[in-house]
Formats: sequence, C-alpha cells, structure tokens
Amino acid sequence: MNVLVLLGGILFLLMTIIGGRKGVRSFFALFFNFAVIIITVILLCSPEINPVIVTLFACVVISCINLFYINGVNSKTKTAFLSTIICIVILLLFIIFVTNKSMIQGFGEEEIGELGAFSLLVEVDFVKIAVSVIIMSTIGAITDTAIAVSSPMREIHYHHPDISRKELFLSGLSIARDILGTSANTLFFAFFGGYLALLIWFKDLSYSVGDIVNSKIFSAEIITILCAGIGVTLVIPITTWITAYFFVRNKETKETV
Amino acid sequence: MNLVGSIYKKMNSKDKVIIAILLCCFIGSVIFVFNNYSFYEKPIAKVVHTKVEDVVKVSDINGNEDTLYTQHIIAKLLNGEEKEKEIHLTNEYSKSKAYDHEFQIGNELFVKIDQSEKEDEDLTGTIQEVKRDKYLLLIGWVFIFVLLIVGKKQGLFSFISLVFNAILLSYALDIYIHNSSQSLLWICGISVILFTVTSLLLANGLNEKTYAAIIATLLGTFISLLITYLVLLVTGEKGLRYEEMQFITRPYRMVFMAGLFLGSLGAVMDVAITMSSSIFGLYEKNNYISVKALIKSGMEIGKDIMGTMTNILFFAYVSGSIPTLILYFKNASPFGYTLSLTLSLELARALAGGIGIVLTIPIGLYTTLFFVNRKRARL
Repeated sequence: MNVLVLLGGILFLLMTIIGGRKGVRSFFALFFNFAVIIITVILLCSPEINPVIVTLFACVVISCINLFYINGVNSKTKTAFLSTIICIVILLLFIIFVTNKSMIQGFGEEEIGELGAFSLLVEVDFVKIAVSVIIMSTIGAITDTAIAVSSPMREIHYHHPDISRKELFLSGLSIARDILGTSANTLFFAFFGGYLALLIWFKDLSYSVGDIVNSKIFSAEIITILCAGIGVTLVIPITTWITAYFFVRNKETKETV
Repeated sequence: MNLVGSIYKKMNSKDKVIIAILLCCFIGSVIFVFNNYSFYEKPIAKVVHTKVEDVVKVSDINGNEDTLYTQHIIAKLLNGEEKEKEIHLTNEYSKSKAYDHEFQIGNELFVKIDQSEKEDEDLTGTIQEVKRDKYLLLIGWVFIFVLLIVGKKQGLFSFISLVFNAILLSYALDIYIHNSSQSLLWICGISVILFTVTSLLLANGLNEKTYAAIIATLLGTFISLLITYLVLLVTGEKGLRYEEMQFITRPYRMVFMAGLFLGSLGAVMDVAITMSSSIFGLYEKNNYISVKALIKSGMEIGKDIMGTMTNILFFAYVSGSIPTLILYFKNASPFGYTLSLTLSLELARALAGGIGIVLTIPIGLYTTLFFVNRKRARL
C-alpha cells in the first residue's frame, strides 16, 4: 500500500474520532487547499498572468476554506478573514521589496545539478514566483493566528457586553501575546525540519559562515522564516484592532436602532 | 516628537536600558555589515556601471520563449590587494531569472579576479555570488522590532527561544557530523527533549501548565513518530520518491525521518500548550468544575485548533516546491509523475505532522487533567 494513502487514512480516522464532524471538514479542507495550490501553480505557469495577483487571489480562497468552511460564517471568522487579507497585502508589499533587493529567486547553485536536464528559460518571472512562495508558506499560520485571536475576543465581548473598544483591544492584545511565540515556533521547526538535509550538507562540505549566509538557498530560507515571523506577528494587532472596532461598533448601531 | 517624549516618560529605567542596548546592537550590527568587506577572503566588488550589450530571443522544444541579455558591468573592488581598482565583468541573464540575476548600480558581488600577465591591462573577472548578508540582517531587525513592539516582554522571550533553538540545532548537527557512529535519530531525540523544555519554559515559566505541556509534547511527537515509522515499515515505503530529496550527503532515510521528527515538533508544542493553558484557565476560574466538563471543553478547543494547525504545516511544506513544480510543468513533464516525484516527501511530512497534531489533542487533555487532579488532591 502507498505510504501517503495509509498516512492519509490514519489522519482521516483520527480526525473523525477526535474532531467529529468538524474533524471531517478539517480533513477535507486539506484536500481543497491542495487543489488550490495545484491550480495556482498551473496559473503561475502562464507568463501572461501576474503571479502576485494570482497569489493574492489564491490567498483569499485559502482563507475562505480555512476560516469559513472549517469554522462556519460568523462574526469571529469574518473579522479574522478581513484581518488576514489586510495582513497579506501589507506583507506582500514588504516581500516584493525584499525579493527584488536580495535576489533570492529561483534555484541556488546547490540545487541546479539535479535540474540540469531541464530548460531554465521558461518565460515565467521567478522573482515574482519567489514572492508567491513566501506568502503561500505563511498563509496557513496567518489564518491560524487571526482566528486564535478573534475567537477569545468574541468570548470576552460576549461575557462583558459593556466593554469599551479600548478595553477590548487591550485584553485582546494580552491574550494574543501568549500565543505570539508559539506560531513563530511552529513555522521555525517546520522549516528547519524541511531543510535539515541542507544544514547537514553545509556542515559536511564545511562551508564558512560567510558562504552560508550569502548563499542563495540559505538566505532564501531564512528570509522566508523571517517574513513568516513578521506576518504572524503583524496579524495580531491588526486582528485585535479590527475585532474591537467591529464588535463595539455593532453594539453602538444596535443601541441607536 | 511629543509622542516619543511621552512614551519615553512612561517607561521605567529597566526598559530604557533594554531599549538602549537594543539600539546599540542595531546600529553596531548595521555599521558592521555594511563595512565588513575586509572580513571576507573572496574579493567583493560594487557595481558602478552597467550596459546591456546583446539581446537574444531564444525558444526551446516545449515552446517556451525567453530573452537572454548580456550585460557588461564595471565594478569597483572593495577589499583585497586590488582594492579601489575597477574590474570588468560580463553577466548573462534571462528575462525569467530562474538561475541568473540582473545587476544594477550599487549591487555588491563576490567575484573571482582573472590572472592577467600584463600590468597595465584592465582587471577582468567572473561573478560568483551576490552579497546578501546585509539584507538578511535588516530583515532580521525588522522581525525583532515587530516582535518587540507587538509582544513586549513575551516578544523578547520568544525571540530568545528561537535563537537558543537555532544554536542548539547547530550544535546537535555538529555532534552528529563529528560522531558518525551516533545515530541521527538518537541525537534528534535528545535535542527534541531539550527544544521542548527550553521553548515551553521560556514561553510560560515554571508551573504545572508548562509541565503538562512538556509531557504532552514529548508523548505526542514520539507516538506520532512511531506511527509514521510503522507505516513506512508496513508499506515498504512505496510511493515515497527519495530520489527527489536534495542535498544528500548522509543516509537519506535517516535524514528524512529526523527532519519529519523536528518539523512536527513546533506544531505539536503549539497544540500542547494551547490545551494545557486553556484547561488550567478553566480550572482556575472555577475550582469546582467537574472532570467531565473539563473534558468536554477541552475537546471543543481541540476541534477548533485541529484544522488550522494541520494547514500551517501543509502550507509551510508544500509551498517550497512551487518553483520546482513550475519548472517541471514548463518542461512538459506528465502531471501525475511530476506530483508524485516532487511532492511525495512533502506530503508525507505534512500528513505525519497532522497525525502528531491530532494525537496531541487527547494526550494534552488527559495529561493536563492528571495535573489538575493532583493539584485538587493537594487542596
């Protein structure tokens, strides 16, 4: 039996037993997201379409799947969705600037050997693809943080309906600080686990610190981790502010009606 | 300026000292990295003049059209014996820039100087690599400042724990490389324990919440690793395409397992700490809450985080393969073959990590309950 089928089967079983109906939805969300990534890659292959716009569109669809499909459409997922999109746009501008300056696009010299059989002149703008890769690596973590902040804030607002906007904002921020480190940590270990072979390679071939730091593949990896870290940190104040703004405004409009 | 002044007045002296130290580090490191040319042995040159000399349109058998540019560059050497002299370089780049770069005035490059016989001739050379250290440093500082502004003290702690883990990882790899007799999995196992203990202690301090999270994390990662190992054993690793694994200098199966182990650790830790702190939170609010109610709320929280957590790992792993996928598709590789070749390992990692995350939900719940009950018995 195929490894992936068996692992997928075990995951499905566990998610169903532990998560019930929501677990089943979470499992299918993985499939939908996989389909979105493949469609995005196919769209990125045609040079006429701007990769940044494709990525932004893919991010909107992925956030819809992660937030609305798994958790349902309600006030906390709506604010989380809005914050995710705002954060992605800000991050996108930063990353476009960074990739243009640091020239980390495409493939490094360590990777090029095994791609030798392929033509590398394929019209697609790899600088913009690099932007897309960084954003797509982070989108899962950004939606996770956004919902993790907005959902306890709704609980606070529910238990203390008279809370002022500023108080709600501050208590949201104090909850958010507790989860700040864990999201960054999750991404950090995921990337280092994925690139363990590369790190061993650098050590085995005794690269100097200067060689490692300036090599395309290592700096691309570190820049991805740092941008992901900036993304998951930045989404915290954005979500807190937007949630506080909408929840307390909702109350005011209700009173005037 | 008034705003800065009022913030400055609000801070106590300890904060002021920390901010002063940070600013000194920031300014010092930026000055260093912009003037560290003499620390590199390789010659570094700064581009002062560029001119496109030749433009050629090319196409390949798969109908991809691209444009090749030949760029003549004059650069000024910044270090070594030939410092301040000008060097002539030729750079070929394509419109798609998959493996090449277009250089502009101000870019700094590592170059190899050609040996010339004549004294008065212009220096020529070849471009080897782009100097990227300053960008890494600047982005790193942006991250640190965002982390500190948003997270204040917790931000500082999470940064310290990231740095500490990076150093620990590097040290563990050194041990592995110098003692090849030691299995990578054993070294990883011990470092996983260290990673877990330090990250969770730094994030939450010394208390029952942290102890419960540490035990749940370790149980969760080891059990999920065991399941993955059994799956690989039962299926005979059918469907995994190790040939696409890059940078292999060591037994690839071991490296893959160790990477899988490390990769899911962060996510499992995240789940464990979420479970333990929310259950302890419920208990502290109401000391007489029944075990049944705790289990029910705990499972609800677990269901909420399950979906988004598995997606974090999924995107972090699969997105890195996007450029390779594009290259395969543009070179007319068959669809199914490309997917199985480029994504099998990444998907296996994501699924194994997902199993770890889901398993940690009940494990975290019952470990925390054990600590809650112990605390209750003491009262």
